[in-house]
Amino acid sequence: MTEFDPKIKYKHLAKIGPNVLQCIACGDCREQTDYTADPPRWGVCVAKDHTSGFEPFFARGKMQIIRSLWQGKLDLSKEMAEVIYQCPTCNTCAEACAYDMDNVALYEALRAELVDAGCGLEAHVPMNKAMVELLNPYERDNKLKSNWLEKLDFEVKDASKEQAEILYYVGCTAALTPDIENVAVNTAQIFKKLNLDFSVFGEHEVCCGSVAMRTGDRKSFNTVATKNYELFKKSGVKTIVTSCAGCFRTLKKDYADHMEDLGITVYHTIEFLNKYFNDNDVQLKNLGLNATYHDPCHTGRHMGLYEEPREILKKIANLTEMKTIKQSAKCCGAGGGVKKGFPELALEIAKSRVKEAEETGADILVSICPFCYRNLSDAIKASNSNLKMIDLTDLINQALD
Amino acid sequence: MIKISKVKEAYSEIESIVGEDYITDKDFMKAAYSRNVDPAFPDRWADMIVRPETTEEVSEIVKIANKYKIRMVPRGGGADLVGGSVTEEGILIDLTRMNQVIEFNKDDYYIVVGCGITWGALISHLHPTGYTTGVIGPGSGFAATIGGGLSNSTAGGGSTKYGLVPDICLGVEAVLPNPEGTIIRTGSAANKYAKPFCRYGVSPDFTGLFMGDVGTMGIKCKAFLRLFPDPPYKQARMYVLEKEDYNKIFELSHKIRFEINEGLRDLSVLPAIMVQFQLAPQYKQRTGTQLKGKGPLMNITIEAMEESTLDLKLEKLAKIMENDAERVPGSFIREDLDDEPKFGYDLEGTFHFFQASISPMPAQISMATCHKIPISHMGQVYDKIVDFSKKNAAKMGAGTIYPGIFASMLYFLPNGNYVVLGGVGGKNIEGEREKNMENWHRKIRHQVRYGGAHYWLGESISQSVTEAGAFTPEYEQLFRDMKKTVDPYYLLSPNKFHLHTYDSKFKDYYVEEED
Repeated sequence: MTEFDPKIKYKHLAKIGPNVLQCIACGDCREQTDYTADPPRWGVCVAKDHTSGFEPFFARGKMQIIRSLWQGKLDLSKEMAEVIYQCPTCNTCAEACAYDMDNVALYEALRAELVDAGCGLEAHVPMNKAMVELLNPYERDNKLKSNWLEKLDFEVKDASKEQAEILYYVGCTAALTPDIENVAVNTAQIFKKLNLDFSVFGEHEVCCGSVAMRTGDRKSFNTVATKNYELFKKSGVKTIVTSCAGCFRTLKKDYADHMEDLGITVYHTIEFLNKYFNDNDVQLKNLGLNATYHDPCHTGRHMGLYEEPREILKKIANLTEMKTIKQSAKCCGAGGGVKKGFPELALEIAKSRVKEAEETGADILVSICPFCYRNLSDAIKASNSNLKMIDLTDLINQALD
Repeated sequence: MIKISKVKEAYSEIESIVGEDYITDKDFMKAAYSRNVDPAFPDRWADMIVRPETTEEVSEIVKIANKYKIRMVPRGGGADLVGGSVTEEGILIDLTRMNQVIEFNKDDYYIVVGCGITWGALISHLHPTGYTTGVIGPGSGFAATIGGGLSNSTAGGGSTKYGLVPDICLGVEAVLPNPEGTIIRTGSAANKYAKPFCRYGVSPDFTGLFMGDVGTMGIKCKAFLRLFPDPPYKQARMYVLEKEDYNKIFELSHKIRFEINEGLRDLSVLPAIMVQFQLAPQYKQRTGTQLKGKGPLMNITIEAMEESTLDLKLEKLAKIMENDAERVPGSFIREDLDDEPKFGYDLEGTFHFFQASISPMPAQISMATCHKIPISHMGQVYDKIVDFSKKNAAKMGAGTIYPGIFASMLYFLPNGNYVVLGGVGGKNIEGEREKNMENWHRKIRHQVRYGGAHYWLGESISQSVTEAGAFTPEYEQLFRDMKKTVDPYYLLSPNKFHLHTYDSKFKDYYVEEED
C-alpha cells in the first residue's frame, strides 16, 4: 500500500503552497461587523447568510475541510461539492482575514480537486462542455455573438481580419443575452464617439473560460485559454478592453502569464475610459440621476477597481453609496457558478443586495458587470422593486452626447 | 463509545425539532467543526452538529440527549483558544443562529440579545444610539459571541473601567442539561412579573452559576446586558517608562486609578522586551526618532462626557507620568494611529492585533495562558514567570514564541487585579500536538500554584486548574453537587474541569508540582 502524500493526491491544492494550512480558525470570516472599519463591514459571507449557515458555507469551514483532506482524514464527495459550490467566490472572507490569504485560489483549487475526482456539480457540466465545443457557456451558436453589431450604425473592425489599436473583448454574457447586449452596444458607441480604433472578434470570440476556472474544470479552462492565446497572438493585439468583470479578472489575472508573453495589457472598459477622460480632459454631462453603485466582486475585491467607476459616476449622476461598499460590498450572488448551480440562492442573495440599494433612495442601480446586471435585474423583478438596473457604459454613452 | 443506533435515533428525533437543514452528520461537516484556535488538541469530530434557532429548540435537543445519554457541547463563535467548543462524539450545538437583538431598552439601560450574536454586531448596533455595553468583548476577537464571553468570564476593551463580561450581565435565559430540558431565566427576570432590568434582589445570584462555567452548567440562549451612556470624548495616551520596574507600574497605576478615577477606561502595559526589541526599532526606522525610555509602555485610554473634563483628566495624567515616563505618539504602536488617538484602537485594529498576536507566524499558534493576578504582586509574578520560562525553555522547544518573555501584555481590571496576557507557542502540526498539550498544562498548573485566576478556562485550562489541585475537597463536593443538580447524567461539556461523572474525583487527575 502506498503512503498517502497530499502533494500527489491533491495537485491543485499543492500548487497553492503553505497557504493551504495557514488558517488558524479564528472565525473572523464568519461574521465581522465593524462600524469603525473603512469601509465599514456589516457581516462577511453572503453564502452563510442565505443558507443553513454551517461552517463549510463560509471560509473557516472550507479551510478546515481542506486541512482534513490534506491530512488524509477526509475524502472528496458529491455531498461536499453541494456545499462548496454554494459559494460565489466573492472573496469578502479574504478581506476580513488578518492574514494575506488568497481564499478564492484555495476554493478554486478545491473545486478542481472535486472535478478531477468526479465530484463536480452536475449543473456545471453542460455549461463547461458548451464552452469548449461551442465557445460559449450558454449552449448557443457562437454566430449569435455578432447579433449586437447590427444595432450599430457604423462598421466595427473584425479582429480576425484586421488589426486595431484596441481589441474590445465583449464576453459571452453581453454578446449572447439580448437584455444585456446594450453593454456591448454602448461600449462600441462610446469608442466610436471618442474616435478610438477598435476591433471585435464577433462570432469568432472564444469564451475566456472564467466559468470553468471558477467551477474547477481546469481542463476546459486550459482548452479555451490556449485557443485565446493563439487568437490573440495571431491578431497581434496589444491592448484588450472588456466591459465584463469576469472576463477582466480572467484575462488579466488567470491569463497573466499568457498576456505577459504576448505583451498585452488588459483593461476594464471603465478603467480605460476613466484614464482616457482624465488624460484628454473629456467632459461628461451630468444626467441628474440619483444613482447607487454595486461593486462587482471580479472588478473590486479580485482586482482592486473601486475608485474609477465612482469617479466617472460622480460626474454623471448623484451617487449615494450603499451600506456595504468597496472591499466590504455584498456580492450579488451570481459568481462562482452559483447562478447556474443554485439559481434560487443566487436570486435570494441578489434580492438582499437590491434591498440595500433601495435603502439609499436611489432610482438607478449602476454596475460594471453584465453578470451582476443579469442577477440584480432578476432580483429587481422578483422584488417588484422600482429600481432600474443600468450598466455604467449606458450612462457614459448618454453623458457623451 | 456511544452506540451508533442511539446516535441515529437521536439524530432523527432532533431533525424533527430543528428541520433537516439545521442538523448534519456528514463527515465533511464534522471535519469543519473539528478544531479550535490552538495547536494542541487533536481534531475531534462530533457525532452530529445542530443549529437551533430558539431556546425551546435547545430545550428539546437537551431532552433527546438525556434520553439517549449523549454528551453535548455548546458552541458560540468558535473563536475558542482553549478547546472549549469542539467535542469528540456527541452533539455539538452551534448557537450562532440565535443572534438577534431582542429588546433594546434605552430607558432602563439594558439590552436583550441572543447569545449567538457577535460582539462586533452588538457594538455596531449600539454605536449610533449613544449607548455601550462598556466592556466591548473578549480577546478572542469581535467575531466571538456574547455567550462565549459570558461562559469564559473574559475581559476586553473597556474592562479596566467596566469589568469582566459577566460584570455587565443582568441575567440569562438558559436551558439546564437535565432530562426535562428546563428553561430558566435569572436575575430580575426570575420574577415572572418582572423585566430583565437588574441582576440581584429576587433570589440568590443564579446568574453567576452560568458565568465562567465554560458551558458546564447550562446552555445560555439569551443574555440580558447592562447599558451605559457611551462617553463621546475618548483619547489614548502612551508612555514609555524610563526603566523596567514593575513596582513603579504598580505605583503609577494606583495613582492613575485614584486621580483619574471613572475617566479611566483602559489601562494596559506592553512589557519592555516588546517595546525595546519590536516597537522602538520600527519607530526609529519610520521616524528617525530614538526612544529615551528603556522600560515598558503604558497605554491609557481616558473617556469623558464633556471635552473640558477630558482635557482636565489628560492634564492630570501628564502630571502623574511626568517624572517617570516619556510620552510617545499613537504611531509608536501602530503606524496608522494619530499622535493623539481618539480611542487607542478601533474594532478593525483589535481584530487584527488579536489574530497577529495569536499566530504571528501562521505555522505556529499560541496556546493561551492569560491569567489574572493582584496588582501588588506584579513584581513577584514577573520573577516567577521569567524564571519558569527560562527553566522550561528546552522543554518548550522550537515552537515556543518569546521563550523568556513575561507577557505579551498586561491589562488592568477594576478591582485591584490585572490580566497577564500571554501564551505558549506551538507548531500547528499533528506530530507536535501531544507535546504542545503537555507544555500548556504544565504552564497553567504553575500559574494556578502561584495564585493566578484564569482569564478563560475552556477544556485545557479548566483541566489544568483541577490537575494543580486548586480545589479543596469541600469545594469539589459543592461543585459536583451543583453539577448533579442541573445535569444529573453529566452530559454537558463533560471534559471540562475533568468533571466526567459525579463519582470521579479531582484527586485522580492531580499532578505533582514539577518545579
